[in-house]
This record gives sequence, structure tokens and C-alpha cells, in this order.
Amino acid sequence: MNTVNVSRRRFLQTSAVTGGGLVVGFAITGCSSAPAPLPVASTEGAWTPNAFLQVLPDNTIRFYTARSEMGQGVTTGLATLVGEELDVNPLDMEIRLAGAHEDYVNPDFGMQGTGGSSSIHAHYLQLRQVGANTRTLILDAAAKDLGVATSSLTTDNGYVVAGETRYPYADFIATAQSLTIEGDAPLKPASQFLYIGQETRRVDAIAKSTGTAQFGIDVDVPGMHYAVVVRAPVARARALSVNAASAKSMPGVTDIFEIGTGVAVVAESFWQAKQAAAKVDVQWESLPLEAIDTATLRRDYAAALDAGDGVEGPNEGDIEVALQSASTTHEAEYWAPLLSHSPMEPVNAVVSIQGDEADVWTGIQFPSAVPGLVSRVADIPAENVRFHQTYLGGGFGRRGTPSHIVEATEIAKTTGKPIQLVWTREDDIQQGPFRPASLMRIKAGVDSGGNLIAWDAARAGADISPDTFRSLLPALYSWMGDGMVEGVANLSEWYFEKFATDESSTEGLFEDYDHPNTRVTHMTVDHELPMTFWRAVGHSYTAFAKESMIDELAQAAGMDEVAFRLQNTQNSPRLNNVIRVAGEHMARMNPPAGHHLGFAAHHSFRTDVAEIAEVSVENGKIRVHKVTCVLDCGQAVNPDIVRAQMEGGVIYGLTAALYGGLSLEGGAIKESNFHDYPMLRMDESPEIEVIIIDSGTKPTGVGEPGLPPIAPAVANAVYKATGQRLRSLPLQVA
Amino acid sequence: MVHFTLNGETVQTDVDPNTPLLWVVRDYFKLKGSKFGCGAGLCGACTMHVDGAALKTCVTPIAAVANKSITTIEGLGTPEDLHPLQAAWHEHAVPQCGYCQSGQIMAAAALLDANPNPSSDEIDAAMAGNICRCGCYPRIKRAIQSVSENALAYDAMAQTEGRA
Repeated sequence: MNTVNVSRRRFLQTSAVTGGGLVVGFAITGCSSAPAPLPVASTEGAWTPNAFLQVLPDNTIRFYTARSEMGQGVTTGLATLVGEELDVNPLDMEIRLAGAHEDYVNPDFGMQGTGGSSSIHAHYLQLRQVGANTRTLILDAAAKDLGVATSSLTTDNGYVVAGETRYPYADFIATAQSLTIEGDAPLKPASQFLYIGQETRRVDAIAKSTGTAQFGIDVDVPGMHYAVVVRAPVARARALSVNAASAKSMPGVTDIFEIGTGVAVVAESFWQAKQAAAKVDVQWESLPLEAIDTATLRRDYAAALDAGDGVEGPNEGDIEVALQSASTTHEAEYWAPLLSHSPMEPVNAVVSIQGDEADVWTGIQFPSAVPGLVSRVADIPAENVRFHQTYLGGGFGRRGTPSHIVEATEIAKTTGKPIQLVWTREDDIQQGPFRPASLMRIKAGVDSGGNLIAWDAARAGADISPDTFRSLLPALYSWMGDGMVEGVANLSEWYFEKFATDESSTEGLFEDYDHPNTRVTHMTVDHELPMTFWRAVGHSYTAFAKESMIDELAQAAGMDEVAFRLQNTQNSPRLNNVIRVAGEHMARMNPPAGHHLGFAAHHSFRTDVAEIAEVSVENGKIRVHKVTCVLDCGQAVNPDIVRAQMEGGVIYGLTAALYGGLSLEGGAIKESNFHDYPMLRMDESPEIEVIIIDSGTKPTGVGEPGLPPIAPAVANAVYKATGQRLRSLPLQVA
Repeated sequence: MVHFTLNGETVQTDVDPNTPLLWVVRDYFKLKGSKFGCGAGLCGACTMHVDGAALKTCVTPIAAVANKSITTIEGLGTPEDLHPLQAAWHEHAVPQCGYCQSGQIMAAAALLDANPNPSSDEIDAAMAGNICRCGCYPRIKRAIQSVSENALAYDAMAQTEGRA
């Protein structure tokens, strides 16, 4: 089991910024070697002081964004951080999406990954320092070239200002290249911020409104062929026999052959490949998963909870004694189903192999994985793999799993053609990896003074981390043979089943309230469906159980829902303050007759959020009219993007709360497209008000924290409207 | 051979007449702004204008648009010459991932062409065929309203730029 921990720690190393504007990252493998050349554009006469910035002779300032842009606005946010200290308006920069390189690691992860609502938090000081050091070098160069003291110069949006004269930064790049700085330049105090905290527009909005932003699916290279994979309806089943005779003779079809995950169909256009794929007849092997349907899943989870022999998580005080001494106790069970991420852009990749070199174009959350995977599959050196990041047409965790790159590489290698592999929407919904289903039980006790004194919480379901680990491991440890990869991945599964809780499985189930007696238990029940992170990860289901339970407890104890939460979050002052502000706001709301207000609050990804859902129930249909979202995310680098992320989190969460749920039948997912796996649309979308509490601390996450409170806020409102406690997602009134 | 007009230019193609318009435009004419989302006419990412009306092109065979006039997002406006809706999309910071936005804008443009001052319910109805997983709906609506509230200016601009 130590192997697992050591491996995890090894890719959790950090990067650092040093003097001279140079950013130094540590190799994720822990092996030292000469740094690879930066994957930046080679432009005649340009100055590249570090991996993030280039100053061109025409004074264009290029910014290479190290984090994946999947809609969360990270490009604008990071450009704002570097621009603040460089003194360049982020909207005036030329934005480039960074390739794969150790200098682009996420300082919170130690690998090049985007997730966990971490980016602005992780880069807040690093990129400001990059900007400040680069500006200092330009000022020092200007002082030298102009023969004046540095202290006599200032800057203004890409220009050095000397008295009445403005010089483009580019005038001094020749000299700047020869300079170094001692230590780090000082950073601005918040009182001098020009861009941080301002409502600037998004740097990518025009490209994304004119069809000119390039997503992975838009990449087109000469000679490119298109591939679709015929996939087993039951996860991981292998083909026993393939009859492709009629498909092979269809127009445009060039190749049909088996790959690791199914049968690849290659054609001159995507349409031809998709049409031909429908004609391929495959006999799949039979797997134990075929015996599983949704009801079995839930029954097996319940049996595990009944048996009670899971892995113990946090255990404080004496839970049994506390429950006996409580004046009010309450117990309930909550269900959350399997979910698909379903980003609007189905996953896809373009791979072109030329001799012992390869180019890969895709939008992915873990670029670190690309060179290693392509190297392994194509049998070429990892340093010969050029990764070209594109915009991501939605991520939500789905683009952290790189299996489509393995597939595209297999197909490109076998055919010798540049290949664009596209997953169909049916692949997307039916193949996962999924957000796991969960069955949660909470038993809690309140004393006569309204204090929550006991919290006994358990969750049964599949773990999230091992499958993601399995998909990234072969990329990150290229020296491991396939057998060893499989062995280590199996070890991690076994470890989480037997020894320690996968943090992602129970996060959010127990941390927010002050109960001195706490017990958390986890039962891993794995039916071998592929799983991965889904927006807000464990919080996406634990908040539903926890905040429904809190509402039920407040009612059982005869207390107001907000007062009960305030009294029992004294040890979490920022969450407590968010609850207070939201509670005061709710008290002033005056919903029309038939509309009811539900409340929920949750801490996730370092951010505290409370939401109020205004809901009516008519003819058995739940209608969410308005959502008010109050949050504290520290310094809001771009308040409008913070609001957009709350709006997005609420709507993504509402789709799950009202509609989300995949059904398993005979081990296969029954739903296939948006007709039977519906998404919230504009006519069902509530008005959303966002109130940002500016606590001025270092920024915390915004991509995910808006999601967890919405399902319980709606459920708690439905209770007021109908008297029904809905404890299963999606919410359906009886 | 199917002849049609693509963003004002007369073009022709000899692909299988069952090929959906979306894939003809993307794979053969290499205009990549219109997107594939579902392949079943359920999400609207592929929306283009066919003779001025918004149509889901992932289920529209190319044979069905013979001799018709097709406008894609590329024909609506460019970064240098934004359509008023595209300018509103920027002003209201509408796009998040951006993948569905070509389809959203084409649906909105067809709505405003037919009804320059739609009510909130009329916007909901016209836009209900377009899914956005990032949840940009409140901003999409605000951006449409910002343009429709200036309906007269919008009309004038459309006429001078030949975008009736």
C-alpha cells in the first residue's frame, strides 16, 4: 500500500519561481534531466523571458495559459494575474494555449493538470511574480538603454514612460535578454490593483462568439481520416468475433480493425465512419457486470451499509454515547445516481505520427499525460511527441481521462494516417467514465440546547480515484511495463477498499458542522464500471445528504433552518458568515403565493457557498424560479467570471437534481442521447442572483463550489411546498 | 451534384446526398464554426440559417438544401466585423466553454430577424432547442434582450450591412 502513497506523493511535487524571471519546474518523474525546450512559438526577434510570456518586436505581448480553458474563465483569470504586475491589460494580450512542459505544472498538483477549482489559487502568487519580474527586467533594460535611473521610469499598459515619452516594451527586449534580476521583484499591494477585482470582459469571448475559437474537433490536417469506435455496451467487454463485411464496402471506408476498447472504423469523413460503424456486427464477451442493473446497484450498496464493515474515516469522540445522550436523534438514507458529464463537445483527438515523431491535438485537463501515453502506444520517444492544446468544449472532469488519446494513437499507428477520433454522443452518455452512484446514511443527534453533538455518516459506492489513476499511470511512469501498471492500479483499488478511504468518496459528508462526536465509514462497492471526477466530485452527492439531513434535524429539533446552521458552524467562521448573510437575505425575500424557499450551504474547494432556491410544485412538477447564491471565495480576481461560474454550477447542478440519472440494464447504460438523458434548457433555467462577499484573502475555488448546495436547497424547498422529504436524486415528487 | 449558396457564395458538392449539411460544411468546406453535439437534432450546436430560418443541420441531408441559401456563424459576422448579437455576447461575457455558442447565436439571430422585440417567453421558446452545459442561459437571454431593446438601431445596422 505504500507504493500507492509514494506514487501519489511523487506527482504532488511543486514548482517554484526563481530570479531572473525564470520559472523552474521539477520533473514530475523526479528524475533530473536537461529541461526540454519550451513549446512556444519561434518568432523572429521575440523575447521569451519565461514559459508564460513573449514580447514581440511589434510590442505584441503573448501570454501562454498553462491551465486548460474549459469555460471556467481561467485564461482571463491567469492573464489578469500576470498582466496586473507586468502592467499590460489582459484584453490587449495575445492568448496562446500552452503545450506540455514541466514549467506549466499546476503548483497545487505538481503535474500539468487543471481541476479541483485550483487554478487561480495555485497561480495567484506565481504568475504575479512572473509578471513583476519581467516588468523589472524591462524597466532595468530601459534605464540602461536610455541612460536614466530606473526610479525615474514608470510603466503604462505595455509602455515604459519616461517623462512625457512612451516607449513600447519591445524597444528594450534586446537589452532585457542580457539582464538578470537578484531575487524577486516586489508585488503590488491590493490597493494598487488595476485589473484584479475589476469586471473585465473575457479574453476568449469574441473568438467563442464568431466560431473562430479552435476546439479539438475543429482541427484538420492534410490527409486526415476520421475514426469512430464500435464499443461494447457492457463496459470493458472484449470482442469475440467481428463481422465487418458490409461496413467495409461502404463509401469512404478505408480500414476496420480491433483496438483495445472496441472496433475502429476509419473513413474519409466522420459521417461515413459513423454510418459504417452502425453496420459492424460484433459479438462481445459476457462479463459479470451483465447481471447488474440500477436496482442491484442500490441493493448491493444497502447490503454493504447494513453489514457495516467498511473502512473507517475520521472518528472523534464517542459516537454511541453521544447519540444516546442526545435529546433529538434522526436517521435517514440518501441516494445519488450514476451520471454522465456530457460536455457539449464529445471527446476527440487528432493524432498524426511521422516516423518516430508525433503531433497530438486535443483539449485535455491533464496535458502531462499526453507524451507518455503516445510514446507508449506508438513506441516512439516521449520527447518526440508534440502536444497542441485546444479549447475544451466543456470539461467537468471528463477531460481528465485520456483514453481517447490512446485510441487515436492506436488507430493512427495501425493505419499510418493522421486520424481524428470522435466519440459520438451515444458513446459519451453510455461509456463513461461516470460519476459514481452513492448510497449515504447519516444518523445525528442534537442536545436540548440545539447543539449538534453527534454525526455518524456512511457512504457506499464505487471509488472515484482508482480509475483515473489507472488511466494516468501509464502516461506518468513510462518505465513501467503494462503488467506493472495494471498491478499498481489494482493495488490502489485494493488499498481504498481495505485500508483507507478515497478522500474523493466521502469529501463533504462530515466537515462543515461542529459536532464533537463524529464517525465516518466508507464501503467501497465496485461493480467494475469506469468512474472519474465529475464537477464538484464527492461534494456533488455528499452535500445533498448532509444539507438535507441538517434541514431535517433543524425541523426535528424545532429550530429555524438558518439559526440551526449558524449555531452549529462556529468553528468554520467563513462558512458561518456566508450562512448569516444568506439567511438575512432570505429573511427579506417575499416570494409569491405557492413559491417556497429552500436553504443549503456547503464548503468545497476552499470556498463557502450558501444558496436559496425559490421553488414551486405544480401538478407534480418541480419548478425552480430563482436561485440566490452567496459566496466567499477570497479575492475575486474577476467578479463577473465568479458570477458566471456560480450560474454555471447552479444550472449544471440543477440538471442533475431534476433530471440526472443513468439507468443500468443488464450492465449497460440504457440512455443514449439528449432525448432520454435530458439537460436543463433555457425555458427551465431560473433567474440567478450572485452575492460575492469580499473577504480580501487569497482567491479560492469557483469552478465547482456553486454546484453542491443546489440539490439540497431545492429538496428543502420541495419539502416546504409538499411536506415530502425527497431523499433520492433526481428529485421526483410522489 | 447539389448546388447551394454558402455565406453568399454559390457552391456545389457531389457527396452522398444523404450526408448531413453539418458535415458537408465542416468536413468538405472546412468551416468549423458550426458544431457537432448530438447527431440527432436534439442540442442545437449545429444550427445554421437555411433561407433565413434556424435549422438543426446534423439531421438535414444536403439534398434537402439544394438551391437554398445557407448562412453559418462565419457568415453572420467576423471578429473584425461583429454582428450585433456577437458584440452583445462579448459585452455580456456570455460564452464559457463556447462550444454551443455558434448554434445559440444562429438561433437568436433567426429569432430577432423574425421578431425584433421578443418577450421573455418568446426567447425561451425560440432558444429551447439549444443546450448549453455550462449554464450560460441567463446571459444568453440578457444578451438577446440587449439587442432587441435596441431593435431600431439593430434594424438600421442590418439594412446598411445587407443583413436583412
